[in-house]
Amino acid sequence: MRFVLYVLAALLIGIAAGHFYSPDFGNLYEIMLYILIFVIGIDLGMNFQLGELKKLGRNALILPAGTLIGSVLGGLAASLLLGIGLRWGLAISAGCGWYSLTGPLIGQYSAVYGALGFLANLTREILTIVFYPLLSRRFPGNVVVTMGGATTMDTTLAVMTKFGGREVAVVAFVHGFILTAAVPFILPLILSL
Amino acid sequence: MNIFIPLIVGVLIGYILRIKNRKINLEVPISAALLLLIFFMGIKTGNVKISAGWLLGSSIVFAVLTITGSIGIALLMEGRK
Repeated sequence: MRFVLYVLAALLIGIAAGHFYSPDFGNLYEIMLYILIFVIGIDLGMNFQLGELKKLGRNALILPAGTLIGSVLGGLAASLLLGIGLRWGLAISAGCGWYSLTGPLIGQYSAVYGALGFLANLTREILTIVFYPLLSRRFPGNVVVTMGGATTMDTTLAVMTKFGGREVAVVAFVHGFILTAAVPFILPLILSL
Repeated sequence: MNIFIPLIVGVLIGYILRIKNRKINLEVPISAALLLLIFFMGIKTGNVKISAGWLLGSSIVFAVLTITGSIGIALLMEGRK
């Protein structure tokens, strides 16, 4: 949780600096983005094992697909409701809670929608932490895992383990793991539309 | 530059490192790159005139609807079992 505060502080300091001083850093933003994507790629390559996923069965693989489809449908509804272009709405929602990737990727094309992508996905993570305990009482724990999107393998895993139990923890981890591997490929595809 | 290039190169390097059984702690470089990136994103956003209320309200709408969509599809899938 402390890191989220650092991230929010970095964003707010950046907004204040941009608003009052308008500093020009050239293409440093793009360079940092490529560095981040490169390091995320190394992390995926070191940890992603297809064979391990196959062992877990079909259902564990289908759930993340459902999460992504549901998320994109939700984003579609939000775009229509708010009058935002579909391209932006779909990209924001396809981030599946991964705010640190979604915001900067969209920010390459639009600062406003980059900020919205960042905050919308951060809000999703916060709402998951707050409401998972309540929703897991009303619905099956496996189903409610989907609210966390890609964050269920790290930041929201603890709350899911605590309130859903060990069985849900395994589902949550695999769910987040698959989405974490998929989102860096899907998001640029949507943005290129 | 296409975003897929650094991503795929990274995945390949990560895969080679895994085969060679070499472990690298990526937490610090990812955190540092991320904080700098968010800071630069803030600067870009600060340069644009934008309503904080609209940004916050829209974020909540997106978060609530994406969560609802994901849970809704998962419930449909659960019901079909």
